[in-house]
Amino acid sequence: MAGENALTTLDGDKKQYIVVKIGSEQYGIDISFIDNIVRMQSITRVPKAQEYFNGIINLRGEVLPVMSVRKRMGLPDDEFNNNTRIIILKIEERGGLGIIVDQVKEVVELGPNEIDNYSPETKDEKGDFIKGIGKNNNQLISLLDLNAIIDDKESM
Amino acid sequence: MDVSQYLEIFIDETSEHIQNLSDCIMSLEQEPDNKDTINEIFRAAHSLKGMAGTMGFKRMQRLTHDMENVFQEVRSDKIKVNSAMIDILFQCLDAIEGYLDTVKNTSNEGTEENEAIVNSLNVILNGGDPGEGGAAAGGETQAAAEETKEEEKEEDGFAMKFLKNVTEEDKETIKKSISSGNKVYGMTVYIDKNCLLKSARAFLVFKAIEDLGNIIYYDPSSQDIEDEKFEFDFSICIESEHEFDELVAAAKTVSEIEEAVGKQIEEADLEAKAAPAPQEEKKEEEKPAAAPPAPAPAAKPAAKPAGKAATNKPAASNKPVTSRTVRVDIEKLDTLMNQVSELIIAKNSIVSISNMEGDTTHSQSFTEQIEYLERITTGLHESVMKARMVPIESVVNKFPRMIRDLSKTLQKPMELVMTGEETELDRTVVDQIGDPLQHLLRNSADHGLEMPDVRAQRGKPETGRIFLNAFQEGNNVIIEVGDDGNGIDTQSVKEKAIERGLVTPEQAENLSQKEIIDFLFMPSFSMAKKISDISGRGVGLDVVKSGIEALGGDVEVKTTLGEGSKFTVRLPLTLAIIQALMIEIEDEKYAIPLGSIQNIENIEVDEIKYVQAKEVITVRGSVYPLIRLDEILDVERKDPEAEKNKTSLTVVIVRKGDNFAGLVVDRLMGQQEIVIKSMGDYINNNKMISGATILGDGEVALILDANTLM
Repeated sequence: MAGENALTTLDGDKKQYIVVKIGSEQYGIDISFIDNIVRMQSITRVPKAQEYFNGIINLRGEVLPVMSVRKRMGLPDDEFNNNTRIIILKIEERGGLGIIVDQVKEVVELGPNEIDNYSPETKDEKGDFIKGIGKNNNQLISLLDLNAIIDDKESM
Repeated sequence: MDVSQYLEIFIDETSEHIQNLSDCIMSLEQEPDNKDTINEIFRAAHSLKGMAGTMGFKRMQRLTHDMENVFQEVRSDKIKVNSAMIDILFQCLDAIEGYLDTVKNTSNEGTEENEAIVNSLNVILNGGDPGEGGAAAGGETQAAAEETKEEEKEEDGFAMKFLKNVTEEDKETIKKSISSGNKVYGMTVYIDKNCLLKSARAFLVFKAIEDLGNIIYYDPSSQDIEDEKFEFDFSICIESEHEFDELVAAAKTVSEIEEAVGKQIEEADLEAKAAPAPQEEKKEEEKPAAAPPAPAPAAKPAAKPAGKAATNKPAASNKPVTSRTVRVDIEKLDTLMNQVSELIIAKNSIVSISNMEGDTTHSQSFTEQIEYLERITTGLHESVMKARMVPIESVVNKFPRMIRDLSKTLQKPMELVMTGEETELDRTVVDQIGDPLQHLLRNSADHGLEMPDVRAQRGKPETGRIFLNAFQEGNNVIIEVGDDGNGIDTQSVKEKAIERGLVTPEQAENLSQKEIIDFLFMPSFSMAKKISDISGRGVGLDVVKSGIEALGGDVEVKTTLGEGSKFTVRLPLTLAIIQALMIEIEDEKYAIPLGSIQNIENIEVDEIKYVQAKEVITVRGSVYPLIRLDEILDVERKDPEAEKNKTSLTVVIVRKGDNFAGLVVDRLMGQQEIVIKSMGDYINNNKMISGATILGDGEVALILDANTLM
């Protein structure tokens, strides 16, 4: 799991990313934003909330909102199974927030030259939430732009 | 001397003194010749000066010094109080407050000299009139005469006063010392009248004398001397092997000491002279032990509950009695409150486990212990809550001053009548209620009250009346703010709303008075005909409303055109933990705060009637609109057919002010103490949900805000 790998030292400007699976693609989340990863648990629905919020959960006595990244990106609905995880993000000023991912795979280290800027050729909803593409051992990882995910200008 | 550690105490106490001064100056304006008030002001100004001096805030000290001088003159009847002087004094207060704010922010007093104010003070002092010519309040001269005389007597004589206020207890100490063969001297030390740091001088005298002997008795107590709570003289008794002259010489080495008189004390002196000292209220000073500048040896006698030594002034007994309090950082109370919340959640889960197991294996004592635990946590919660409660006084007592200023600016005579200042509210609420209330009061002063000539025409007294009433009602605190002015002209509000395109003229015809008044609470809807700096910039009532709603309260208006209006602010007593009714809709659990529930009814479906195509029910003669919670909360029905065929409904009747509504729920689950948790600001939900709570089984339930459901 993430724990052991996170201890490996960083060389230079390399940043660590947690690789998660959402739908058929792999996404990377900057580890410095991650507070915790928990298993799927019961979520209380909040009426009239934005459609991509599944509701709120109790995380050790704190109430946190949980968002479906799938719904946020306009992907088909989540199917919860044994691999489903809630990644708890800590965002300065606005407090914690959980996002649901299909699976947590590994931790990778990416240096600046391993990341390509993402220039969306096709403007689709998904593209708005990507800030770069990481290359790691021949696989491509879309790096999530967390600010874009959290920022909900459209629903205001 | 490093005084930074006293900064917090300084800030707290200075604010208290400023408030005290402000109150006194207000009442002085009403009764310019009230000696008690003048003395109180003098004392407060004096303490301010002393504290500023000790902290090394020279500019602040200078200002308060000049202020004190003015009062010295007023006290001795050399100048009279008039309204121009009151204005200057209020400017002084503002300036001091300005210093205090700077101190708060930077630990330094800043560089503002406030020359103009100091000059005006000096003009007053020199007998001149700073502003409007000779509007001196008439007829006050007599009262001060007595006290002045008394003081003069003392001034001339350098009387030996060291046995004047000696208590039985102290007498014993002195006697014991004499009988054990020590020489005991009494000494009264007079400090130069122009001395600014009296306590520092006194401290140096103590130090000089303690090289030669032991000080066994202080009058006033050493604590009071440190706090400068004395006039220009103090008395001590010393046991020493040296001759008295040496002691006097030692005392006089300290500069600014005018005279030191005294003699050796014989036992006989104690018997004869110690006329029954006036029974002093033994007020225990809650000052932290290390008030400046506390020398270790001198602190010894002060450590025992020093009866507040008699200052020689008769007015001293009028001083407000300090309550037995401890200052606690609000953060510590917050932490405590959080821990109590956690405890209650833990308790709730034990309760739910014990209920869940269902079987009878639980011994009776287990159930008893749980009940005991419940009682304790409820009690604990109440105590913590009480500890967080402060009277709204701290917020509202700045209002009389504000109204006074407004009265001058607006050229409208008006008075503020306040009741219930002692009503207590959670500290967090009190801290935040000031601005909304201030807004409402300003509103009353500016828009509510008519100009005096209009009032006269309408047969009202010329002086407008603004009121602020606070009282507790169940789990809420109500604060009413209003005036006997013009009231809200709903017709012109309606026109304005049409003009702004908020409603069509047709719609406007059907609006109730309440709906019209609600426009006033919309952002940027100002009714002021001209913009003033008091109100009317369009950031008025909507700020009030959102401020109050943020605290979980609400505000309502009642108004009668021509007679005045009344804003009723309803606030919850506490923010963190409430009693709630748990209800269920399908399988979702919701909490409804008990405070907003009126009663619970079972209603047959065929009793539902329709008014304007909306469902209503009639219970004991009252008509309530029906709200189907499942519909407005978008609950998915597993079996919609069964729902339609229901013959009876459970209805929770909720109340907001004078409005009622019936909420249709599926099941009632019982009453529970719940801890309110914020959901953060990520999720939008049109305010129907006021927060969330964690249930005994770890599930999260939402708290319905009955106010917004209506």
